[in-house]
Amino acid sequence: MTLVSTPTATAPARESARTAKRRRGRRRPRVLIAITTLFFALLYLPIAVVALFSFNSQKSLTVFDGFSLRWYRAFAHDDVLIASLGTSLRISLVAMAGSVLLGVALALGLVRCRTRLGSLAGLIMLVPLITPEIVTGVASMLLFKGLGIPLSTFTVMLAEITFSISYVTVVLRSRVAALNPEVEEAAMDLGATRWQAVRLVTLPALLPAALASAVLIFALVFDDFVLAYFTTGVDPQPLSVRIYSAIRFGVQPTINAVGTLMLAGSIALIALALFIPRLFGRRGGLDLLSGE
Amino acid sequence: MALLRNSSRTRRRDTSGNRIWVWFMLPGTLWMAGFLVASLLLVAVLAVGTTDELGNPRFGFDLSAVRALADPAYTEVLARSLGYALLTCLICLLIAYPVAYTIALYGGRYKHALIAAIVVPFFANYLVRMYGWSVVLSDDGPLLRALRAIGLADGGTKILNSSFGVIAGLVYGFVVFMIIPLYAALERLDVSLIEAGRDLYGGPVRTFFFVTLPATRQGAAAGLVLVFLPAMGDFVSAQLMGGPDQIMIGNLIQDKFFQGQNWPLGSALTMLLMLVLLIGMLGYLRRTRKDEAEALR
Repeated sequence: MTLVSTPTATAPARESARTAKRRRGRRRPRVLIAITTLFFALLYLPIAVVALFSFNSQKSLTVFDGFSLRWYRAFAHDDVLIASLGTSLRISLVAMAGSVLLGVALALGLVRCRTRLGSLAGLIMLVPLITPEIVTGVASMLLFKGLGIPLSTFTVMLAEITFSISYVTVVLRSRVAALNPEVEEAAMDLGATRWQAVRLVTLPALLPAALASAVLIFALVFDDFVLAYFTTGVDPQPLSVRIYSAIRFGVQPTINAVGTLMLAGSIALIALALFIPRLFGRRGGLDLLSGE
Repeated sequence: MALLRNSSRTRRRDTSGNRIWVWFMLPGTLWMAGFLVASLLLVAVLAVGTTDELGNPRFGFDLSAVRALADPAYTEVLARSLGYALLTCLICLLIAYPVAYTIALYGGRYKHALIAAIVVPFFANYLVRMYGWSVVLSDDGPLLRALRAIGLADGGTKILNSSFGVIAGLVYGFVVFMIIPLYAALERLDVSLIEAGRDLYGGPVRTFFFVTLPATRQGAAAGLVLVFLPAMGDFVSAQLMGGPDQIMIGNLIQDKFFQGQNWPLGSALTMLLMLVLLIGMLGYLRRTRKDEAEALR
């Protein structure tokens, strides 16, 4: 399958490819396929369990008693959880806007500006990617306490922006590097100012990647728990922090319902982010997630 | 003359161009320097600070928090965390390699869909996934019930509240970070190399160890680092799947900042964690640099 895709295969090469294929066809990698199947089963089992028992009519997490929307209704009537949902949505929106603005500008600057400041900024930008979240959480909390800013939804927003910028920058940087700067030069030779060239030529070319990373940042921030946990105050806490306190103290079926909604929401958003580049006629971007 | 004028014009445009790019870069850089670099420095400073009678952190120079790290209670937790993280890396490698290999070489036109089917749920809510996993691993959960049904476990077998449970949690949490780089390396791998190995009468095992594995070594190394970093700092897995005997350094840090309210000690522990990770990173960088040098030669 992969073999025949080589366009320049000469006749004997094609011949050997065919025998190789036949050889491989005879010896199907049963063990490998079994391992992969088992892996997929275990990967989806926890998600399936949460989703299934969110529709359970009883409180049990082991016995499915019958279908009911009881826990979804309980969630809809839980004012505290609904307030948390609002907080999470606000944080995600602000973090998305802030980090995409700063991140796109930073990516453009980093690629085009070859000064010492540029390489320093490039180094700083990599720090969040190699620091575990608990360290960044502790550090942000200490900074806010040190500056005398009381912890609140606002501090969560600031922290989330800080750690989303790197992400946007890494994704956008490879796109900027792939652009041909001569197109910008051409626009300027045709009378555009530098700023007009950036605005009318470069930024539109970056739009698909910027949109995709915006959607992804929204989902990641909405789901983020560690950073939010360390920087949140007591005003309606983000939903993931609320879920954390709930699951530490045993099973609460309402959390199954909330969790199912969150999983469904973020899976849809991440799939959308992967699909966005295709809408613009580009190859879909799994590279978005690998950060390369 | 015309040539001269032309070159001076390009130069002017280049420098003014540079200036505009600096302006593009500045807000993001300042933001990161202010919030990130400053905050990490603050952790380092507080690690050598003290607390006043009320427990509020005081800046100063006092090594008591750093010295407290030598306490066997803490070194034991550090050693355990290292052990868990390294085992997690190893298990992830053993699981991810066959999965990535199968998809990259036998996935055909479903390759991308299969990888997306792994990656997408992994980037969905970590907490909910871990919670679901703890339900799966629980004493009455589907996994143990299935194992009991086929006679691989008895009534006394437990997964939760053991080291095994915590490692299972870490593996489930981070195995995707191993699959992505391995898949990328295996996809780049020239299949004719494997064919060549077979044609030279290398058995499948020999071909794998002498051809496939060396060719994907860098992907594996990247995966090991990507798994080690979050596994070492995790505290959710130990909390949901482990008991009091399985706490990791992340749980200690969390405890010092929330329940214990000993911020200097928490900061010192955080610095210790960073130190371990830094050593791991440096080892990885040296390794890849050596690989690159060899590739050039």
